[in-house]
Amino acid sequence: MGQVTFKNVSKSFGSTNIIDGMNLEVHNSEFLVLLGPSGCGKSTTLRLLAGLETVSSGTISINGRDVTELEPRERDIAMVFQNYALYPTMTVAQNLGFGLKAKQIPPKLIKEKVNEIAYLLGLTHLLNRKPNALSGGQQQRVAIGRAIVRKPKVFLFDEPLSNLDANLRLEMRAEIMKLHREIGATTIFVTHDQEEAMAMADRIVIMDNGSIEQIGTPTEIYFQPKTFMVAGFIGNPSMNFIKGKISNKMEISMPIGRIKINALLNLGEDIEVGIRPEKIKLADSKSKSTEIKVTVLVTYVELLGPRAVVKMKHESGQELTSVIEHDEIESYKVGTEINISLASQALHFFPKN
Amino acid sequence: MIVSFENRLLQFIGIMAIFMAIIVVLFPFFWIFLESVKPPSLGGRPDIWRFELSWENWSEVLLNSSVPLNIMNSFFIAFITVVISLICGAPAAYAFSRFRGFQGARYSILAAEMMPPAILILPLFLILYKLELIDSRIGVVTAHLTFVIPVITWFLIGFFDEVPKDLEDQAMIDGYTRFQAFYKVILPVVRPGLGAAAVFGFVLSWNDLFYSLLLTGAGSRTLPVAIASFWTFRGIELGKMAVAILIAVIPVLILSYFIQKHLIKGIGGSGVKY
Repeated sequence: MGQVTFKNVSKSFGSTNIIDGMNLEVHNSEFLVLLGPSGCGKSTTLRLLAGLETVSSGTISINGRDVTELEPRERDIAMVFQNYALYPTMTVAQNLGFGLKAKQIPPKLIKEKVNEIAYLLGLTHLLNRKPNALSGGQQQRVAIGRAIVRKPKVFLFDEPLSNLDANLRLEMRAEIMKLHREIGATTIFVTHDQEEAMAMADRIVIMDNGSIEQIGTPTEIYFQPKTFMVAGFIGNPSMNFIKGKISNKMEISMPIGRIKINALLNLGEDIEVGIRPEKIKLADSKSKSTEIKVTVLVTYVELLGPRAVVKMKHESGQELTSVIEHDEIESYKVGTEINISLASQALHFFPKN
Repeated sequence: MIVSFENRLLQFIGIMAIFMAIIVVLFPFFWIFLESVKPPSLGGRPDIWRFELSWENWSEVLLNSSVPLNIMNSFFIAFITVVISLICGAPAAYAFSRFRGFQGARYSILAAEMMPPAILILPLFLILYKLELIDSRIGVVTAHLTFVIPVITWFLIGFFDEVPKDLEDQAMIDGYTRFQAFYKVILPVVRPGLGAAAVFGFVLSWNDLFYSLLLTGAGSRTLPVAIASFWTFRGIELGKMAVAILIAVIPVLILSYFIQKHLIKGIGGSGVKY
């Protein structure tokens, strides 16, 4: 199948840098998700790989072959666009077969392959319809079918699920994963939905402002965020950040208190201390040196089915958000003061930027 | 639904206003029609309303004049003009829609359109004279292209703007060149626009008097020139002229009816959107 390499790839429009010296290796048969806020360059990365935009510098290769200067049609890739980009004047069957026609495959064989894909995706009864007579989910399926029928080296998906309603999105997500397992083609999937990225990816690439912040498995990205941006971007509700200063070699002082940690730090440095909402627990009576006990005022409780989001405020003005299980909700009453504990092993430290 | 008296009154006034407008617009056609079926002896007397119906003007114009040839000329010239204009204008409009380097370029087509035709007629006349194309249909086609290509290009930009760029991107990924993507995928999508542009261009060429008057002779004379030529030194042959006018106007009316929806989109849709 396909292995994709970006080497020092940059893209600028005029004086604006969209992609800045990107290095990325996508493994064979991998499901790689490009994730980031809108405007971070993830779609541009995809379009560069597809050949729909030209790179300003650097090289892109697929299976070791330099494709930087090649036209999209010469790269042996398939792409599913956000709006599906189905050809409105053609039937479903013609849409599916259009790419094969370009390869000058005999019509009889095209028909066979189209029927096979239509069967695989449950489109057989729709083959003679025009795209405007299909539902969103069916259009999506045709777009995916059109991509896989050509058996390309690499599949590119540009936010393909964002136009679907919530249920259908879950369904199509599962279907894409299933197809990926069956076909095993290298897939690069762009999304701004972190839940989607977490659920689908073998590895996630987090991008911001045209450069890669972190590459890792969903677990790594979530539990070991390398940068402040990644820590804040991943997780919902997002990570709590508390400004701190290294006051002693192994101690950090924050507006809410001091904490000892097992790492050597630069004295006097300003840092951001992060803690995931679900790591904020109610304090018990035992006192440990590796945790801070803090008294906070509960300001808001939002019930989300089995879980609830609690907003709290410390007397220093520091706000914290935690996620609790439904059965704990009795302990968090709006307007009351509670004691919580922040364990040092749950803390993340980032240099202040 | 309960409709108040005031609403009814307003509705009535509205309908009356539309009626008036229709009468104002259609009365000249009606009057021209009457003129065409008057006996020639009453020709040039628009004040006479009671007369015996006569088809003499019609038979005279259709059987014993050059008007049938003029119709053929007009049709041929308009048709060829439109075909060439579409072949040149559609790719041009696509390019203007997709490659937005310099916005001024888009408006320069309009500038070409705004130039008075008198500026072009002298060079055109001289060039066609040298090429011995005066009094030829191809000569008139050349002249008509100078204003039909810009109009059709401008007209089509709005239609191409509405086609998502993803469609040709998809086609290029599917294994086609940009040009193949353009004519296999994009052109079929804008087919209604092409049809409307064709009709619009056809009507422009069909109605043109200025270039045709100066560049044609007996052999290539178009219908508008023929209409004008009923104004002779012996006076205006109003009856025959009326017949020719009706023949000239009817196709325009029919075609306009079919493209009215797209016409507004084409003329209004090319504006700046961003």
